[in-house]
Amino acid sequence: MGSERRFRGVLSTSPFRFAIVYSLVFAIAAAALLLVVNFAVSRVVDSGTDNLIESEMQGLREQFLVLSRSDFIALVEQRSQNQDVRGAVYLMVDPQLKPVAGNLPAWPKIAAEEGKWIQFKIEVPYGEETREHQMRARRFPLAGGFRMLVGHDVQERQDVKSLMMRSLIAAVVLTLLLGLGGGYWMGRRILTQARAISAVATQIMSGDLSQRLPVRDGEGELNTLAREINGMLDKIEQLTLGMRTVLDSAAHDLRTPLNRLQAAADGAMSQLLPGSAERRVLERVTVEVDRMRTTLNALLRIALAETGTVAREAVDLSELVASVVELYAPLGEERGIVLDSEVNAGVQVQGNRQLLAQALANLIDNAIKYTPDRGHIRVLLHNLVAGPEVVVEDNGPGIPIDKRELVLGRRVRLDEARKFPGSGLGLSLVAAVTKLHGARLVLDDANPGLRVSLKF
Amino acid sequence: MHILVVEDDEVARDYLAKALREVGHTVDVAGNGLDGLHKASTATVDLVIVDRMLPKLDGLAMVQSLRATGRKMPVLILSALGEVDDRIMGLRAGGDDYLTKPYHMSELLARIEALARRGAAAGEEGGTKLKLADLELDRMTRKVLRNGKKIELTAREFQLLEFLMRHSGQVVTRTMLLEGVWDYHFDPQTNVIDVHISRLRQAIDKDFEKPLLHTVRGAGYSLREDE
Repeated sequence: MGSERRFRGVLSTSPFRFAIVYSLVFAIAAAALLLVVNFAVSRVVDSGTDNLIESEMQGLREQFLVLSRSDFIALVEQRSQNQDVRGAVYLMVDPQLKPVAGNLPAWPKIAAEEGKWIQFKIEVPYGEETREHQMRARRFPLAGGFRMLVGHDVQERQDVKSLMMRSLIAAVVLTLLLGLGGGYWMGRRILTQARAISAVATQIMSGDLSQRLPVRDGEGELNTLAREINGMLDKIEQLTLGMRTVLDSAAHDLRTPLNRLQAAADGAMSQLLPGSAERRVLERVTVEVDRMRTTLNALLRIALAETGTVAREAVDLSELVASVVELYAPLGEERGIVLDSEVNAGVQVQGNRQLLAQALANLIDNAIKYTPDRGHIRVLLHNLVAGPEVVVEDNGPGIPIDKRELVLGRRVRLDEARKFPGSGLGLSLVAAVTKLHGARLVLDDANPGLRVSLKF
Repeated sequence: MHILVVEDDEVARDYLAKALREVGHTVDVAGNGLDGLHKASTATVDLVIVDRMLPKLDGLAMVQSLRATGRKMPVLILSALGEVDDRIMGLRAGGDDYLTKPYHMSELLARIEALARRGAAAGEEGGTKLKLADLELDRMTRKVLRNGKKIELTAREFQLLEFLMRHSGQVVTRTMLLEGVWDYHFDPQTNVIDVHISRLRQAIDKDFEKPLLHTVRGAGYSLREDE
């Protein structure tokens, strides 16, 4: 089955298609050329023979007028024996059509007018055997009811013609076969290289920027293209690594002072009595440090997802959706919110489990936040033909259509949302993670409520 | 316990050493990877806390070298980097746990305690039955009994209880629970864990006189027989 698929793959490559078209064009051209040559050659040869017969006929006619009948018969016999002109045939018959002289065994029974060209076949001895030869001739009457036939053996000409026809067909068939074979070979070559390129491209898209396209020796267009793309990849890798380094040092430079602050507050708090005014101040400091850490983490994760350099593996999306729903369901129930889910089993995607889980957690967390008490949230994972789709649907206030684009940007919180805790980066992270996984994030109206879909 | 702190940020290192000493540990410090490796290989260190970014020898390289020389003490890696896959790299290098800065001292202390216990209890890991006071959990039959009475738990509640029982007597933070029970490593923002704990508490403590599952203010939870 694999080889059949491979075969079909080759048939649909552009070189193979080009080859089919070109070999057809060449075959038609070869056929046309041969037909023209054939036609021209036959005309030249045919008219040569015909002229020969005509002049012979003319000569004999004149001789008949001046010679006695017996001398004329002798002349005909002589000419018949003397094969100066190879293949010349003569026959003189009496009024009863009995042969009088000549080298033909019998008068051809062809009902044609006198003086017209006739074609007929006669048996010619070839050693032991005989072979049918094509003859071309003209007949004319002689005085006294005698008749004369002068003709020529055109078998050789026929042979040449049919040989030419056969070579014509062979040439066309050969052109087609060579064209198809060459096309198949080129198609296979291209396909092998194209497959290698697409395999590498897939790896690169899944985050492994160290991969490079295979380059063969030589200067083919594909090689040149591959080299240029590799150059581009070098640049991209350099930029992404640079971004990652910047991210890491930014993270380091922000986290180090925060860490000192946290450590100092923790250290001081352990010396203070619970409930004392000083301790309460420090507790507030700690809360703010936590908030900064949360925001920082979210920003860093978004930036990291956007660099596309996150390691990916096969993720069991069914397990993941079920477990995040299970994680959040009790939180919803606290407020009487029903968290329903409908999960197709065995759905897998290539991705980062932690980021996917956090994205889904953010969506469900948002849904719970914005859904009124006793509300209803539905989480769906469907394995559609186009790819897996995760949907989180609530019956909260939804997002007005003109603000949907806006909320996907960084740090946008609609006014109504300010009373809820959160960094305002939840949906931005979802958007970045969605993009990292080559998926689409769609916000819709759930009538009422918000319907968020991740289409992988 | 003898703890080695390898951290180049002097301020953070001093706070950390002080906090560890306050709870009764013996603390050695090192300011770079080479020093850290040297001290971890020569002295009788029970546990190493190592920062990822260190001068002279990177934290991960230090842990790798330490493991290569056959040292098996628990190692906690601290990191101020961008995480997600850094964590995997840290654990792959031979670290036992990974904590991102800034951390709460209570979080760090809870993790150290868990790591130390894991090292000590490595032998009894295979036991199928966990027991605390009159609470019994059988990992094979997946049954939980309290005072001989069967307690019905969901699969997740069972896992949660199992995790708490394996760390009984210790403080277990919310992050540790999210990591240990759900295998998720992110800030859940809302206290999803609290709700799960309160359900578990309903199941195991509600009908009994002595509560086993305690909330440790500002830190997390602890499953223990009260004083």
